[in-house]
Amino acid sequence: MPGLVLAGIKKTYGPVTAVDNIDLTFPKGKLTALLGPSGCGKTTLLRMIAGLEDPSRGTISLDGDDITEKPANKRKFGMVFQSFALFPHMSVAENVAYSLAIAGVDKATRRARAEELLDLVKMAGFEDRRIGQLSGGQRQRVAIARALAQKPDVFLLDEPMSALDAQLREAMQVELRLLQQKLDITTIVVTHDQREAMTMADQIVVMSNGRYEQVGSPSEIYHRPATAFVASFIGKANFLKGKAKDGGVDVGEFHFRPEPAASFLNGSAVQIACRPENVTIGAADETGPNRVSGTVTFLRDIGPTREIYVETPVGSVISEMPASTELVFAKGETVSAEFPAHALRLFPDTGDTAGASHGSGAGDRKVTAVSDKRDVAA
Amino acid sequence: MIKAAFKQGFMVLCAIYVALPIMVVCLSALNGGRSMLFPPEDPTLGRFLDFFVNEPVWLNSLENSVIIALSAATLAILITWPIAYDQWKKDTKFSKVLASLAGLPFALPPIVFGVGLSFLWTFIGGLGHMFTGILSHTALLAALPLVTISIGLQSIDRAHLDAAATMGASEGTILRTIILPQTLSYTLSGFFFVVVLSFHEFIVMFFVSASSYATVTLQIFNSLRNGFTPTMAVGAITFLIVSLIVFSLTARFGDLPRLMGADQARKD
Amino acid sequence: MSYPAVSGDIEVDREAGKGGPAFAAYIRGLGPANIIMGVITAVILFVFVAPFLLVIVVSFGEKIEGASWVWGFDFSNYIRVFVGVDWPNSVTLLYALKLYYTLAYAVLGSLIAVGFAFPFTYFMTQGSRRSQAMWLVFVLASLSMSEVFVVMGWDILLSNRSGLPALLKAVGITSWLKDTGWLAVLRDWDLASPRNVKFKTSQLATVLTMAYLVWPYAVILLFAPLSRIDRSMIEAARTMGAGSLTVLRTIVLPAVRLPVLGSLLLLFVYLLGTYVSVTYFAAPAHQTLPVSIYESIRGATLNAPFGAAQAVILLITAGIFIGFSLMLARLAERKA
Repeated sequence: MPGLVLAGIKKTYGPVTAVDNIDLTFPKGKLTALLGPSGCGKTTLLRMIAGLEDPSRGTISLDGDDITEKPANKRKFGMVFQSFALFPHMSVAENVAYSLAIAGVDKATRRARAEELLDLVKMAGFEDRRIGQLSGGQRQRVAIARALAQKPDVFLLDEPMSALDAQLREAMQVELRLLQQKLDITTIVVTHDQREAMTMADQIVVMSNGRYEQVGSPSEIYHRPATAFVASFIGKANFLKGKAKDGGVDVGEFHFRPEPAASFLNGSAVQIACRPENVTIGAADETGPNRVSGTVTFLRDIGPTREIYVETPVGSVISEMPASTELVFAKGETVSAEFPAHALRLFPDTGDTAGASHGSGAGDRKVTAVSDKRDVAA
Repeated sequence: MIKAAFKQGFMVLCAIYVALPIMVVCLSALNGGRSMLFPPEDPTLGRFLDFFVNEPVWLNSLENSVIIALSAATLAILITWPIAYDQWKKDTKFSKVLASLAGLPFALPPIVFGVGLSFLWTFIGGLGHMFTGILSHTALLAALPLVTISIGLQSIDRAHLDAAATMGASEGTILRTIILPQTLSYTLSGFFFVVVLSFHEFIVMFFVSASSYATVTLQIFNSLRNGFTPTMAVGAITFLIVSLIVFSLTARFGDLPRLMGADQARKD
Repeated sequence: MSYPAVSGDIEVDREAGKGGPAFAAYIRGLGPANIIMGVITAVILFVFVAPFLLVIVVSFGEKIEGASWVWGFDFSNYIRVFVGVDWPNSVTLLYALKLYYTLAYAVLGSLIAVGFAFPFTYFMTQGSRRSQAMWLVFVLASLSMSEVFVVMGWDILLSNRSGLPALLKAVGITSWLKDTGWLAVLRDWDLASPRNVKFKTSQLATVLTMAYLVWPYAVILLFAPLSRIDRSMIEAARTMGAGSLTVLRTIVLPAVRLPVLGSLLLLFVYLLGTYVSVTYFAAPAHQTLPVSIYESIRGATLNAPFGAAQAVILLITAGIFIGFSLMLARLAERKA
C-alpha cells in the first residue's frame, strides 16, 4: 500500500511557476529527502503536502484517500519548521501538548504525553522551562516532540538542521534518523545539504527549478546520477565537454571511451562527468586509454584524502586520492590523469549543472570541479 | 571624555528643562495658603486632602476623568482590534482606507475635530452627555491602539501560525491561542496610552462637554479664571504619577523601544 | 398627474419585493466577521469622519442675528477671514493676521523643538536598550502632560510676581539691565515693563511654551529613524578616520534628512491647533485662529458658520502639510 502520493502537482504564483508537474510517491514508514538548491521549489512542495499552500493543479492522496482539499489543521501531519516556531508564551510542556490542548484532551493526559515525548527526544525534566531559556539544539528537540504529539500520519521537516552549528548538525542527523526508524513514520525532510540527505534518507528526490531531476536511493543518486545537474549537485565532479563519436566522446584532440559505450548520435554535444576520487594521477610516461597528460598546478592534503589539481589539454581536472598513497607529486610536475572507463557518466550538454560557472565558448575552461561549496565545511 | 561629558550634560539639561515646569507645579501643591507660590510657603499636604476629600468638585471631576478614560480606551481597543487584524490578515485596499480613516482625528488639529464633534452631537441631541464625551475621546485617540496593535501583529512570526495549523488549530483557535496572547502586551500598551492621553486631553473635551460636566483637566482650566490654586496642582501630580506608572510598566513588560519604532534586531 | 406617481410606487414595491429576500439572504450569507467589520465601518464614518465633513458643510452656512444659524452656500465666511466682512468697500486684515500668527508660532515652535530634540535623541539612541527605555518613559510622561498643566507650570515660572522676573530682580540683573539701557531694548521687543523684564504676555513665552509642548513628540518621532541607523556604518566611518562631527554630517544627517523634515511638518500641524498656551501667553492682538474659533463657536461672538470657516482653513493648512509629510515618508521608504 503506497503512503503519500502526489499526482501532477503544480504551483504557480502569477507568472512564476514554483513547482511544476510533480508525480511522487513517499513510501510508508520511509524517510524521503527533498534535496535541491534554494529556490528550487522544495519548500513550496513541502508546504503543499502540509496543506499550508493550495496546489494550483494536481492531487495529493494519503493511503488512497484524496486529501488535496483538506486544510492543514485537518490533515494530522506533524511539521518541524526551519525556525522551529516554538510559542514563546507557553512553557516547553505546553508547546509539546498544544495539539492535544486544542483537541480538548484533559490536563493530566496532556502532561503525561508531553513527558513521554520529551523523554523520547532526551529532554525529560525540561517541561516547565520557558522557550527563551533553551539552546538551539534543545529547541529543535522540543519542536520534534511537539510535531509528534498528535501521532501524525506524516512527519514533515523543513530545513531542520539549518539553525544548528555544524557539529551538532551531524549528531542530530543520526539521532533523527534513529528516531524515525524507531517510530516507523513516513517522513519528508527538506534540505539543501546533500550530506544531510544522504545520512538520513531512504529515498532522495533531487529538485531544481520546480521539477525533480532524479528519485532514488542515496547510493543510486551518487553513483548513477541521471542528469548533469544531479552529478554536479551531489558531491563533486569533473565535467569535460565534447562531441559524441562512435560511442565515445571527442574532447579536443582526445577521445574518451566509456564502458558501456554510449548511444549518442555522432556530433551531438555531450559532457562527461567523472568524480575526483575516480581520477587517478600517474607518472607522465604511463600510457593507456582515457589518459591525458598535464601539469600539477595545486596540491592540498585534507585529512584522509589529497587533492591534486592538474591542468590538461582537455581542461583543469581535480583528482582525489588517498593521502596514504605512495606516489608524491610536486607542483609544476608533468603527470598523466586517467579517467577509468566505468566511471565516466555521459550527459547531453544542455549547460545544466548546479555549478553553472563554466561558459560554452571555445576558449573557456571546460571543467567545473567543485560544485557544492557548502559541503566543504562539513 | 569631553565628548561623553558634553553628551551627558546636554541630555541632563534637556531633562531639567522638561522637568522644571512639572516640578514647579508639583511642588506648589505643598503651599499652605490659597495662592500659588514658588517656592511653596508653609508646606503642607492639606491640598491633597482638599482634592480627594474636602472639595467634591475635584473628586467628581476625577470620577468623570476615570469613567471617560477607561470607557474610551475599551471602545478604542474594540474598534481598532478588528481593523488592525483585518489589515494584517488581508491587506486589502478597503482595510487600508479604514485604518487611515481611523487615524484621521489624531493626525489633524484636535480643535477642528472638537468643533466638528460639537456640531455632530448637537444634531443628535447628545451634546453635554457623558457618552458623547466617551465616543469623542475614542475617536480622537483610536490611532494609538491601532498603531500598537498593528506593531504587535507584525511582530508575530508567521511560522507560528503555520505550526499551529499543522497541529490542528482552526483559524479561530489560532486567533485565541497564538495571536491574542502574543499581542496582549501591545494591546494593553494601546489601552493605557488612550487612558493617559484621555486624562490629559483638553480641547476636544472642552467643546463636547458644553460645560455640563468636567474632567479634571477641564475643571483646572475652568478654575484658572480665579487664578491658580495649589489644589489644582494635586490633580496634575495624580495624573503625572499615573503616566509614570503606565509607561514604566510598558517598559518593564513590553519592549518600549520597539513600540517606538526602534530596530528590532539590536539588543544590548 | 397621479399616474406616474402610482407607477413609481408600484415600481418601488416591485423592487422591494425582489430586493427584500435577496438582501436578507445577503445578510445571512455574511459571516460574523463581516458584520463586525460593517458595524465598525459605520462607527468610523459616523464618529471619525462625519465631524470633519460637518465642519466643512457648516462653514458655508449663515448666522442669523439673535438666533442660531441656517444652512446655506456662500463664501462670505471665508471672505471675512481673509479680507474682512465689509469687503470690497474696505479691507480688514484682523483674521488674516490671526492666521499669520498661527502659522508663525507653529513654524518657530516646531523648529525650536526639533533643534533641541535632534541631538538629544541622537545621544539617547547611542545608549543601551535599558537606558533608552528609561529615557522613553521620561519623555512619554512629559508628552502626555496636558497643555493645561504645562501652561500652569510655565505661568508660575514666568509670572511677574514669583517667577523668573522676580528672580532676576532679586539677584540684581534687572537693575543692571536698567543701568546699561538693555531694559529699553527689551521693552522695544515687548519683553519688559518699565520696572522689570516681563514674559507674560509675550510672543517669546508663547513660542517657547509651544516648543516645549511638542519637544517630547519630536523625540518620539526622531527616535525611530535615528535608532535604525546601521551602527556598523558609523563604526566603518570611524575606522576610516571620521570624527564624531564628520560622522554626523556625512552619515547620520543624510540618512535622517527626510524623517527630520517629516517630523517638522507633523509638529507644525500639531501646533496649528494650540489653544491654552496662546490664550495665556499671547496678548489679544497677537492671538491665533484656534482662539477665535473658540470665541465664534462657544464664546462671546457665537457665530458657528464663521468659526467653522476658520476651522476649515486650519484643516486645509494641516491637510496640505500632512500630505507633504506623507510624500516625504513615501520618498524615504523608496530610498530605504
